[in-house]
This record gives sequence, structure tokens and C-alpha cells, in this order.
Amino acid sequence: MGEVLRVENLHKSFGPNHVLKGIDLTVEKGQAVVLIGASGSGKSTLLRCVNFMEIPSDGRVWLNGEAVGRERNGKTEYREHSLIPIRTHVGMVFQHFNLFPHMTARQNVMEGPRTVLRLTRATCVKRAEKYLAKVGLSDKFDAYPAHLSGGQQQRVAIARALAMEPQLMLFDEVTSALDPELVGEVLRTLKDLASEGMTMVVVTHELGFAYSVADKVVFLHEGRIHEQGTPDEILVRPSQTRTRDFLRGHATFRLPEAQF
Amino acid sequence: MDRIWDFSSVFASRELLLVGLGNTVKLGVTCLVIGLTAGLFVGAARYSRNRLVNWPASAFVEVFRNTPALVQIMWFFFAFPIISPFNIDAFTAAALALSLNATAFCAEIYRGGIQSIERGQWDAAKAIGMSYSQQMRRIILPQAITRMVPAFMNRAVELMKMTSLASVIAFGELMHQGKAIATYNFNPIETFTVVALIFFVLIYPLALGVLRFEARLGRSQ
Amino acid sequence: MGYEWDFAVVLRDSDLLLLGLVNTLKVTILALVFGVPLGLGAALLRLSSNRLVRGLVGFLIEFFRSTPPIVQLFWFFFALPLLTGIEISPFGASVLTFSIQSSAFFAEVFRGGIVSIERGQWDAAKAIGMTRNQTLARIILPQAVTRMIPAFLERVIELMKTTTLVATVSYADLLYQANNIAQSTFRPLEVYTVAAVMYFAVLFPTSLGVRRLERHLARSGATTAH
Repeated sequence: MGEVLRVENLHKSFGPNHVLKGIDLTVEKGQAVVLIGASGSGKSTLLRCVNFMEIPSDGRVWLNGEAVGRERNGKTEYREHSLIPIRTHVGMVFQHFNLFPHMTARQNVMEGPRTVLRLTRATCVKRAEKYLAKVGLSDKFDAYPAHLSGGQQQRVAIARALAMEPQLMLFDEVTSALDPELVGEVLRTLKDLASEGMTMVVVTHELGFAYSVADKVVFLHEGRIHEQGTPDEILVRPSQTRTRDFLRGHATFRLPEAQF
Repeated sequence: MDRIWDFSSVFASRELLLVGLGNTVKLGVTCLVIGLTAGLFVGAARYSRNRLVNWPASAFVEVFRNTPALVQIMWFFFAFPIISPFNIDAFTAAALALSLNATAFCAEIYRGGIQSIERGQWDAAKAIGMSYSQQMRRIILPQAITRMVPAFMNRAVELMKMTSLASVIAFGELMHQGKAIATYNFNPIETFTVVALIFFVLIYPLALGVLRFEARLGRSQ
Repeated sequence: MGYEWDFAVVLRDSDLLLLGLVNTLKVTILALVFGVPLGLGAALLRLSSNRLVRGLVGFLIEFFRSTPPIVQLFWFFFALPLLTGIEISPFGASVLTFSIQSSAFFAEVFRGGIVSIERGQWDAAKAIGMTRNQTLARIILPQAVTRMIPAFLERVIELMKTTTLVATVSYADLLYQANNIAQSTFRPLEVYTVAAVMYFAVLFPTSLGVRRLERHLARSGATTAH
């Protein structure tokens, strides 16, 4: 079966704040799924529930056909130590990079394989250099984050996630904190990954990117999936008014064939 | 050792402790008021461009910040009377030492607070024709004071703790009374426990206030 | 004013004063050796997810920060032996008191450093599967330590000043020696002045060093110095 991720009836509340209100989503192997929606619609929270950075309030998550957590008395229990293997199989890249500033690019990428996977030093070095090369940073192995541009830092962060050799990658608005001229290099890296068949879920406001890379576009509105489909169906011929309103708000996104 | 805690002998001496508490507060408040007032002038003097003004102020601050308060108290009690024209009792010696100590620390707080105000504020005040002292009084200090409040409260905490050092020169503050009671009744466990608790009740609200205020400042800025 | 200063009597006993200074530093260093790890432990417990542990450790820290060290010292020197039946020397009581007292302050320094690290660092470490302890040891503390250096060193200076209290329980530190010499020579003015100068000679260069380091760290952006 080619299903990498399945989410069923996912709910998440922070205190009185009900952010996710029953999400159902599946991601097939090799698919690139793009989540769009206004800020506060729950996109980031959904990502953070998939690798259990946040524990869902209700609903289930399956990774590679296996349910995460244990069912007990009608409630799902999550033990921290059982979530760690999950996180090693799901890579995540953040809006603000979150590189470890006291480590070089190479050390940043090695950290997971070394500390978590407990691979030998030599293997970790080789892996780190391989993935840094893959994101085009072969000349920056020994650079500290402070000496890298935003785009370079974000690519190191991508290499850091890739070095765990995950089955699924999550990208949380990875270009939102970048200067406009640096956005392109990071999107190109994502595009390459997608074309190599990496399974990924991407939260982004870059609708042009979504149009050209996504296999499926999902529009979130107020904690629910409002509409989903192919890029053409969602971005060009959306059936829902809310989706249309959202797209109209993105003045920079103008596809020649787009006509609302 | 099966010793039964017996607080009754401490309770019997409650009036001695109360006198001590009164003296502790008297010493602490005196030194705080003097420190806050004199500190402003010393702090301003350190800020002066005139070497004859800022150098002695700096020397004063460094000496009192970089010697132990206990040594200062003992110096003023045992050494200073020899060259002093007037008589010095235990309270005067302790009050002198701790006031000067507080002055030195407060001067630094004023200086730090004033320095934390952006240049633009001085410029803007100057641009509308304010004199230096107007700039300071109407624009800089009102902003700086809010930022200084936690540091001053911290100073008050440290100062209240320091008053206990006056027990060494037999000034009848709380710790000294405690020592007397403990020796007289041979009940150091109970007495020093009670003394510690009284100090805690006296000082902790201040420490808590610092945290509250810092949290509020943090939120508003 | 007619007073004739005479430092000769003090200089004659200068070796005693120097010995006293060494003893002061000995207490300071031992209090650091025990106080710093204890403080780190207390800071981690104060950040624990267990409410009870957090509350209890928090109270202990506040208690030792909000009571005068001389009261603590007298408690450990006079009261503790009666409670436990174990004799304790002035030196032992001093090291014990100042280790615990300074650990309460170090705990706050550590806690401040740890909470100053952005949430994103915890997130990133969690996302690659690190445990809480791994994250603390490999990601958070190495960054927090640089930021804590100024606050930490300021604490060391405070500790050095606080250790003069050992004179009140008759441990032969600098101030205690000064007391003795002042009494035997009838020259308290010179003796206490020299004692003060000796403390100043140790503490002032240390504070200058701290300030320089603070400025250096602030410039390199490694500290959140205020």
C-alpha cells in the first residue's frame, strides 16, 4: 500500500481555543501535498500534530499504515518515548530555521544521526556532507549559522531533516522569514526533493510554487478542510467562495489562465 | 537525637524579637532612603564630563561595591571612631556603612537606567529647547525610573539582608536579639529557625514584587 | 586631626592577614565547587513538569535567597549539630552554608539562562527525535552557558563578599585575623583599613574583568545582557 500518512478526525485545542476541528487527510507515497489557508486556519498546528510536536486532542494518525499511540478506554495514549521513533521518521523544517547556533553546518546536520540514531561518527560525517551537498552547500560545511544567509541557513535546516532519512517531510512556511531574493533558492530545493519522489506536506503562501509542485492542494479554513484537489481544481477553478476569497487576497499570484 | 522542638521559650522572648524587628526595619529603611537619594547625586556625578567630579564619584562607587559590607560595618565601628570628631554608636556605624553601600549600588542603578534610554529622547527634548536639567527631569528620568524599579527593589532585598550584619557590632537588630535569646535559653535551633522565618516573611514579599514587576515590564515592552 | 597612622604594626602581621585571605578564598572556591552543580540540579528541578517538585524546589530557592546568610550560617553552625548530633567545625559550617546559599542564586542564574533560549531550539531538537535530557545537554545548556557568564561571575563576586561572614563563627579568615590583630595591637584603624584594601585588591580586578567580558559578550551578541 502506498499510503504514508493518514489522519482521521483530528482535533486539537489549546485551552478554550479549538484550532483543529476534525481533519481527515491522506498522503500517498511520493506525493507533495500543499496546505494553504489564512493565518490561524490551523495549518501549522496540523503539521505539528503529524510529528507529535503537539499531542492531538482527539482523532488518530497512521504512519505507514501503523496507528500512533495506544487505545485505552476509548482514549488514545501517547508515551513520549514511543513518539521519538515517529519523529525520526518524519522530518520537519521550520519557518525560523531553528539551527543550533553553537554548531557548524556539518555538526547541525550530524546531530540527529549521531545523538538519536546513534550511528558511528564516520557515517554521520559522510551523511552530513552528502545532504549538505544535496542542498548545494558543499562549500559551507564548517560555517556557523551566524555566517550564513537566511536562504543558506534554511537549506542547512532542510539537510538536517533529510539526514534522518525520513519517510515524510513537513515544511512549515519555510520561506516566510526570508528576504524576497532568497526565497527562490529554498523553493528550488523543495522542488528538487519533490521531483525525486520525496513524500512531503508543505505549508506555504507561495501559491505559484504550490501550483507547479503540488500533487494535491488542501485549503484549510477555521480548523477544517474546506476544499481539496489538484492544483488546477483548487487554485484555478475553486468551487467554494471562501477559497476564491482567499486566493483573491493573494494579489501576487496571477496565473495567466486564472479567472475568477 | 530525639530532641523535641520547643518554641515556647522563643515565644516567651517575643518582645525582645519585636524590638529587634523594629530596629531591623529602622536600619533598613534609613539606609534605603539615604541610598536612593544620595545615589542619584553620585550617579549623576559619575555621568559628569568634569574629571574632578566623576573620578571621586567613581572611586567611591567602586570601593563600596568591591569590599564586603561586613568589613565596611566593622571599619565604621572599630576604626572610624579613632579619626571621627564625634561619638559613634553601633546604629550610627551600621547606618553609615550600609547607607554608603546602598548609595554606591543605587548610583549604578541610576546610571544604568539613564543609559538605557535611547539617544533620540535626548535629541528630541533638546530640539524643542529644553535645558539639560529639564531634559533629565521631564523626559529621561520618568522613563528610566520604571526600568529601574526592579533593580531598586532587589537592592532593598539585599539591604534588608545586610542589616543582619549589624549584629556583629552588637546593634540590637533581629539577628542580634536572636543570638542573645539563643545563648540565654540555649535554644539555638528554635530561635534561629524563628529568626530565619521572620526575615523570610519580611523580605520575600519584596522579592516576589521584583518578579511581578519584571513580568509586567516584560509584557509592556 | 592629630592621629598618627602607623602601618608598621600591621605589616609585621601581614603574613597572618595573607593567610586569612587564602582561607577566605578557600571557602569561596569550595562553595563554588559544591554550589554550582547543586544550583544546576535545583534549576532543572524547578523547570520540572511535576508541580510538586517545582513548587518545593522553588520554595527552597526563594527561602535561601530571601533570608540573611548570617542567619543561615548560625543555624548550620549552632542548630544543626544539636539536631543531628554531629559536630561541625566553623570551616565545615561555612562551606555547607555558602554552598547551599550560593546554589540558590546559581539556580536562578541557570534558570534564567535556560528560559532565555528560544522555543524554536527545543522544537528543532524535538523534531529530530531528541529527548528532553539530550536537548538540555547538547542544545540548550551549551548556548545558555555563554549567556549566563556575566550573571554567574557577578554571583561569584557576591559570594566572595559573603564569605567574610565566616569570621563570625571564628574561622580564621581575613576578617577574623584582622579582628585579632586589631585587638592585640590597638591599631584598629590601620588593621581594618588594610583588610578592606586587601578585599578590594581581589574584588576590584575581578569586577573589572567581569565588566569587560560582559561588554565583549554583548558586542558579539552571545549574551542577553541587560
